[in-house]
Formats: sequence, C-alpha cells, structure tokens
Amino acid sequence: MESLSALALAVALALLGLWVLVGRRNLVWKLLGLNVASGGSILFLVALSHRPGARPPILGLGPGPAADALPQALVLTAIVIHFATLALALALVILLTERRHTQDSRKLEEEG
Amino acid sequence: MRVLLALALLGLGGLLGLGIAGLWPRPEPQDPEPVARAWGVANAVAAVVLGVRLWDTLFEVLVYVVAMVGVRFFLGGLRWRGELPPVAETPLLRRSADLLLGPILVFALYVAASGHLGPGGGFPAGALLGSALLLLALAKGVERLSQELYEPRLESLEYLAVALLLFLGAVVLIFLVRAPAAFIAANLLIALEVAIGAWAVLHRFASARGEV
Repeated sequence: MESLSALALAVALALLGLWVLVGRRNLVWKLLGLNVASGGSILFLVALSHRPGARPPILGLGPGPAADALPQALVLTAIVIHFATLALALALVILLTERRHTQDSRKLEEEG
Repeated sequence: MRVLLALALLGLGGLLGLGIAGLWPRPEPQDPEPVARAWGVANAVAAVVLGVRLWDTLFEVLVYVVAMVGVRFFLGGLRWRGELPPVAETPLLRRSADLLLGPILVFALYVAASGHLGPGGGFPAGALLGSALLLLALAKGVERLSQELYEPRLESLEYLAVALLLFLGAVVLIFLVRAPAAFIAANLLIALEVAIGAWAVLHRFASARGEV
C-alpha cells in the first residue's frame, strides 16, 4: 500500500497540530496548530482516495482504476473553508489584541 | 491536564492507526467515470463539485462570503494611529512582477475555463488570481494598489458574482441542466469571487499592520 506513508504523515501532522492547539496558551499559536491539524486532515483525505496504481479521476487518461473523486471534491471545499475561517479567526485575534492587549487565552478567561 | 491531553491524543492516534492498518472495513471506492459521463464533462471531480454535490458547493461559497464579510466588518473599524511601517520595494520585485503578471493571469483564466476538462476549477483559479494580486501588491505597495482597485466596486462585483452563481445553481438544480457551459460559467464566477475575497483579506490585513 503505497499511500501508507502519506497516511502516517497525515496522522502525525494532525496530532502535532492538535497538541499545539490544546497545549499552547497564545491565540496565534493555537491558530497555527489548527492550521497544521487541518493540513493533516486534508492530506489524510487525499491519501485515502488513492488506490495503488490509480490514475487521476479524469476521462481519457488511459486504462486502470481511477482515484476516488469524492474525497478530492471534499478536500477542495475544505481548503477554501479553511482559508476563510482562518482569515476570520485572525481578524478576531487582531480585534481582541486591540481591545484587551493580550493574546494569552488563560488571562482572557480569568479576566472574563 | 497535560497527561490527559497526551493520553487523548495517543488514543486518537491509535484509532487512526487502526483505521489505516485496514482493520476497519473501508468501502471500495466507486468508479468515477459514469458520474463524469452522466454530467458530460471529463473531470470527475468537477462533476462531483458542481454536479452531484452542487448544494455543498453553493453553501461553501456562502460560508466563504460570510467569512469575508466578517473580516471586513471586524477589521474595517480599526484605524491605526501613526505611521504604517513601510513595505520594502526592490527593482527586482517590480521587474519580476512585470514579467510574471501576464502569464499568471492567463494561466488563472485557463485553469478556470478548462476546469471541466482537466485538473483545475474555480477555486484554484481564484487562488491564482489572488496570488497575482499579492505579487502586484508586493511590487507596487498595498496603498497604491488599493487606490487603483476601488474596493466598494469590487465588493459589489463579488456580491454580483455570488448572486449569479446562486441563480446558475438554481437553474441547474431546477431544470436539471447538464451542459459543460454551466460548468465553465460556474468556474469563472467562483474564480472571480474567490479572487476578490482573497484581495479583500489581503488588503485588510496589510492596512491593519503595525503595532497594537
């Protein structure tokens, strides 16, 4: 199974991102972790859609099995949504920093 | 707390590892060719994105627009006191922008217009157009570029593109249109909308730079 290494890398990326997302206290670091975890999940979906010896899911590219088109379409959606939500979250962090002068999630929680 | 977190992550990784090792039943992927043939396009991914799962794409575009409106709303109220730190300008960047801008634009249009035939589509084309705008902004300076690209007009163009896209989606869904022309139009509209949204984000973040 040739996509195994890609799957392992995807899981490693997702775990690393989740670790940073939960473990760090700085909001920008948290968003970075979310970004990495999202990249891992995207890689996971793409690697899942692959079959050994598969060709791209486009007509007329020769014989053989085609890669599954559904996860790829899902990933297309996920990347754009990822970009949009990341931009929105960064804008909110900028606004929060402007108002409260801190990016520490624990301090923000304590102050209420 | 850290120990619990580590345990939870290890458990998640173990579950994923079990899934990868093939111990869970995985459905055999379906052959995408009949889907592509049924919609009259060559790219099965385009047939899925803009055909079978058109509802998903329409609502994804709506989520994108709402997020961009949110960025404009939240960053629009911020006004920075004092001088903005200058963006470095070099002749190298300006010259390479002159050289690269045309090919990037043409390639983005090609990717958008041929998304139903091969790899490509509206979203990659929009990202390409957005990166062309980023290159232009780096070469000319964001302030000058934002004076030339009048943003309220671009904003109304973006909303017009979204409205046209929704109308097109409604036509495809109601009358069950299965023509490549609908795919080309939808891809071009999506590219326009994504590019303008990316420019709005870039512009807002660049003009809100500085120290807090």
